[in-house]
Amino acid sequence: MKQFNIIGTDVPRTDGEAKARGTALYTDDMKLPGMLHGRILRSPVAHARIVHIDTSRAALLPGVKCIVTGEDTPKIKYGNWRLFPETQDELPLAVDKVRFIGDEVAAVAAVDKDTAEEALALIQVEYEELPAVFDVDAAMQSGAPIIHDYCPTNVSVNRKIKYGDVEKGLAESDYVREDTFTVHSVSHAYLEPCSAMAQVDLDGRITIWTSTQAPYIVQCLLASTLDMRENDIRVIKPYVGGGFGGKMELRTWEFCAAFMAKKTGRPVKFTLSREEEFLAGRRRHGMKIRSKVGFKKDGTLVAKDLSIQLDGGAFNAMGPTATFLCGNFGAMLYRYPHYRFHGEHVYTNKPPASAMRGFGAPQSLYASEIQMNLAAEELGIDPIDIRLKNAQVTGDEIPDVAVVSSCGLVESIEAVAKMSNWKEKRKSLKPGRGIGIGCYSFISGGVFNWFNTQYPFSAAEIRAFSDGTVHLLTMASDIGQGSDTVLKQILAEELGIRMEDIRMTSADTAMTPQADLGTWGSRVTLMAGNAVIDAAKKIKEQLFGAVSARFNLNVVHDLECKDGRVQSKAKASYGLSFGEAVAMVQKANRGEALVARGSYTPRGKGLVTPAFGFGAQVAEVEVDRKTGLVEVKQMWTAHDCGTVINPRSVEGQLAGSIQMGLGYALSEQFVMEDGKTLNTNFLDYKMPTANDMPPSEVVHIDTYEPEGPMGAKECGEGLASPTAPAISDAVYHATGYRCRDLPITPEKILEGMKKGK
Amino acid sequence: MRLPKFEYHAPTTLKGALRILEQEGPGVQVLAGGTDLVVKMTLGRLKPKAVVDVKGIDGLDQVRFDPNEGLTIGATARIEQVASHTEVQRLYPALTAAAGVMANVQVRNMGTIVGNLCNAAPSAENAPPLMALGADVKLVSLKGERTLPLDDFFRGPGLTAIEPGEIMTAIHVPPPLSGSGNAYQRISARCGVDIAAVCVGVAAVFDGSVCSKVRIVMGAVAPVPMHATEAEKLLLGQKWTADLLEEAGRKAMEEARPISDVRATATYRKQMVNVLTVRALQEVYERAQTV
Amino acid sequence: MKRHITLTVNGDEYSIAVDPWQTLNEVLREDLNLTGTKLGCGTGDCGACTVMVDGRTVSSCLTLAVSVDGKSVTTVEGLAPSGEELHPIQSAFIETGAIQCGFCTAGMEMSAHHLLQRNPSPTEKEIRAGLSGNLCRCTGYNQIVEAVALAADRMRAAESKEEKS
Repeated sequence: MKQFNIIGTDVPRTDGEAKARGTALYTDDMKLPGMLHGRILRSPVAHARIVHIDTSRAALLPGVKCIVTGEDTPKIKYGNWRLFPETQDELPLAVDKVRFIGDEVAAVAAVDKDTAEEALALIQVEYEELPAVFDVDAAMQSGAPIIHDYCPTNVSVNRKIKYGDVEKGLAESDYVREDTFTVHSVSHAYLEPCSAMAQVDLDGRITIWTSTQAPYIVQCLLASTLDMRENDIRVIKPYVGGGFGGKMELRTWEFCAAFMAKKTGRPVKFTLSREEEFLAGRRRHGMKIRSKVGFKKDGTLVAKDLSIQLDGGAFNAMGPTATFLCGNFGAMLYRYPHYRFHGEHVYTNKPPASAMRGFGAPQSLYASEIQMNLAAEELGIDPIDIRLKNAQVTGDEIPDVAVVSSCGLVESIEAVAKMSNWKEKRKSLKPGRGIGIGCYSFISGGVFNWFNTQYPFSAAEIRAFSDGTVHLLTMASDIGQGSDTVLKQILAEELGIRMEDIRMTSADTAMTPQADLGTWGSRVTLMAGNAVIDAAKKIKEQLFGAVSARFNLNVVHDLECKDGRVQSKAKASYGLSFGEAVAMVQKANRGEALVARGSYTPRGKGLVTPAFGFGAQVAEVEVDRKTGLVEVKQMWTAHDCGTVINPRSVEGQLAGSIQMGLGYALSEQFVMEDGKTLNTNFLDYKMPTANDMPPSEVVHIDTYEPEGPMGAKECGEGLASPTAPAISDAVYHATGYRCRDLPITPEKILEGMKKGK
Repeated sequence: MRLPKFEYHAPTTLKGALRILEQEGPGVQVLAGGTDLVVKMTLGRLKPKAVVDVKGIDGLDQVRFDPNEGLTIGATARIEQVASHTEVQRLYPALTAAAGVMANVQVRNMGTIVGNLCNAAPSAENAPPLMALGADVKLVSLKGERTLPLDDFFRGPGLTAIEPGEIMTAIHVPPPLSGSGNAYQRISARCGVDIAAVCVGVAAVFDGSVCSKVRIVMGAVAPVPMHATEAEKLLLGQKWTADLLEEAGRKAMEEARPISDVRATATYRKQMVNVLTVRALQEVYERAQTV
Repeated sequence: MKRHITLTVNGDEYSIAVDPWQTLNEVLREDLNLTGTKLGCGTGDCGACTVMVDGRTVSSCLTLAVSVDGKSVTTVEGLAPSGEELHPIQSAFIETGAIQCGFCTAGMEMSAHHLLQRNPSPTEKEIRAGLSGNLCRCTGYNQIVEAVALAADRMRAAESKEEKS
């Protein structure tokens, strides 16, 4: 293991004090002189033709400054998959048709919130209702209502993966089983409702402050939908109150804030209500998963034939990526010699599903992991042993994907088995008490350039100053996960300076170097981290040159940046303070500031990801056999995220994942009736509270990822996957009920126990 | 998600409040903790033309226990005040259990027990224990005051026996008899920030192991909190045995007539009435033995 | 019609006119520019808007501004005893990693403050119960619980030191 100074230490996050004091500004905390307040009118029907919109009464209301409908806009479609324009199916405001309850129909900007709200009620929309469809089976039937004219089958994306010979593999298997699983949709439930505030400057250029995970995506798509040039749009990401995948696209209120600011010449701010977030907000894909697997008698995996239908809702959103990735996740974690996948992204008249922490993995791996346990049982093998037998290891090649360059899966499984006293507890058959396992593998950012960026995936600029400080500029977006802190740690380590000597500007598209694709797919630490190191290395080269010249060092001398100095490794007295060295470089360049740019784009790493994270988790539960209520007593986790840059942050990511996984497994769901979300508040959207969280123990497996910055890779997103299967397996152990359709409700457990008898 | 416009009154005397109610007529709402009223207004479900805030009225915020008189809970006594009251904890554990876990800390700091009753949600958590304990409520108007058993108070979801111009000023719970016990059981999918999907309040008096008086009240299983009358009849005058309790649970389950909604299905609610009734009955008996 | 109210926020007295339908949350954030208090749901379910009124935590989104006339309000901006020094709860939150996105933080700190005022030595279970009206989606709560326990220890230590001297 490499030796580090700042990497691997519990550095408190650099924005901690601002957040603890309440001085950190989020988008809705800001206001500008003359600012108007915007509100969105949403469709009350699931599928309808818009016959007529009458805004005249609303326009007459004193204080209303601007009303727009789809007809008033440039009507340019957008979507994150710019590489495939046919997937770009969304308009900022509905034109001709609405496709789900909550679909955006019109927007109002008024002098105050009360007036905007009142105006909404005065807009009259005449709808001609159309037949609607709410689940994938119905949507795929011939004669089903067509949601988008361009797509008569309602299947907007088909994705196939194939390697080996699945038929042959299944035929050669000693044991084959086929299972169907359904997994449900859940909410990101970030605490900060979406908000955007836009201002137009005297030249007609737009600045927008928005609660986003992907300022660059917002910049590009806002430019295209407004029919403006990219450089005329400046996106600034203030503090963001969580995203989890739900804030990584251009959204209606961002468009409307900018469009209406342009129209009125006044700043416009939109902030969504929680009710809107639940009613119409993005969500995790519900999926129908059919999986056929073949094993040898000894538990060796031979083949897998996987097909998944994703309930995409009314638009593609990030669904195409989820469709690709759930197929990739189906073949990760274990070695599958023969594999076939068919994924279909299906339109329904529901709010669009999109990216959410895990991006297809929680669904796909729920099926894989439960099926693994079903097979283990039938083959008479312990669930731990069957996993160890098939676990991926460093150097494994996933065909058409990549070589796994570091992998601590076996160590993780062994560690959780030991921590949890698995062998003993799994043997015990105390009614109501159970233990179960779930594993995961996840990507460290994506390679496939669906956004079709013309820039590096991540970039960094470093400006060094003779006072010993540096300024780091990057478009990477800290939305709470702590990337600002981690990137500063990486830079401080690389330049041998203190974190407090680093000023940082991040996530401002006009100020920070082009580009960064945003915070998703666990890409930031690896990609932005590598970009920072790349820039830092260029700075160091210059500093080394200056020190070398100053001390007339032999060219073979090794130099280093350490403890605020730039010096010879062999003889520290041949060295200068960081600031002095910068001053020398500057002098040598006749005043030119010492600036360097770095970037990272994955190369030679296939089309999926540059690196994989792994881990295993064991859950222990107690089930009240009369009420079916599950109490999770303890979680044990062992995971491999490469070098741990900030242990507290990593553990925070882990605990947050467990909270989300717990909700996914047991309590969270959208209760829907005819396309309408009925539970639109936190009272009935049952996200776990502090009372519900189990104690948790964690072990970091020591690995080093060669592609990662200082050996680091993904953490925190992969961990969104193992919790639900682990709890599910534990519930099975406790009650005999095996859940194949999430969530595991008390009622299903009681019903399942009855059947089991 | 904006509050509608309304007139606001903050009288300092009960008489003043009653006068405003009379003057404003229908369309006026009484505000105490606001944890139900303000939510309903925020969601646009209620658009009162005027709101009478009674929190400033002297003397309504009391929680008082007297061994002879029993427990009196004033109109503006907060839920947390009741839940943390030592005499309530000692003598009315059913009420503590309901008031101590309902909703969340902030709501319990703001909301009132009286408000919880007046809001008349089918799931109102304090209603089953209070009804089981034989509480009655005091309703006051300019015309005078009347006392009504809580049993007769609820008329439907959001509907009560309160007449226009009336305010509920207090809840009164009789002192517990010797040899009695009371208990509350609830089911919810989560520990905090929650509302019961089903709940049951029970109070009973025993003569040795024979039940001489019993009241079983179920919440969230009908438009209003309801007695499990058949189960009560079954237990009355009988020796308390495990089999009898099981039978009472089944009877209660048969009597419950829940609906399916976002919180639970009707089937599950019915099953849970059975489980919770048995558990509450067991608890009541144990408590009666220790008092 | 607007009504005149006088309230004390974090020790400062404000005399302002408010509409009866304005919530305390709105007045704090929009009129007084005290944006440390957040709005996460507007229906009193998430706790992000938690402030103290006369020493008790309330949801500022469910509190009518007119109803706090004459009362004393403490928000996260008033938690630190001076402009410089952090409150022990705040420093414990920072040190333990109890803060990620920070949107629930102000409300969490206020609930922790309320809890520790009433119960200076809470058990882990009591801490969890005391925070159960505040939702967090990032941290999984465990580091927040740790922060509150750490703050409690330090506050008790400071208290006993004060008593001795």
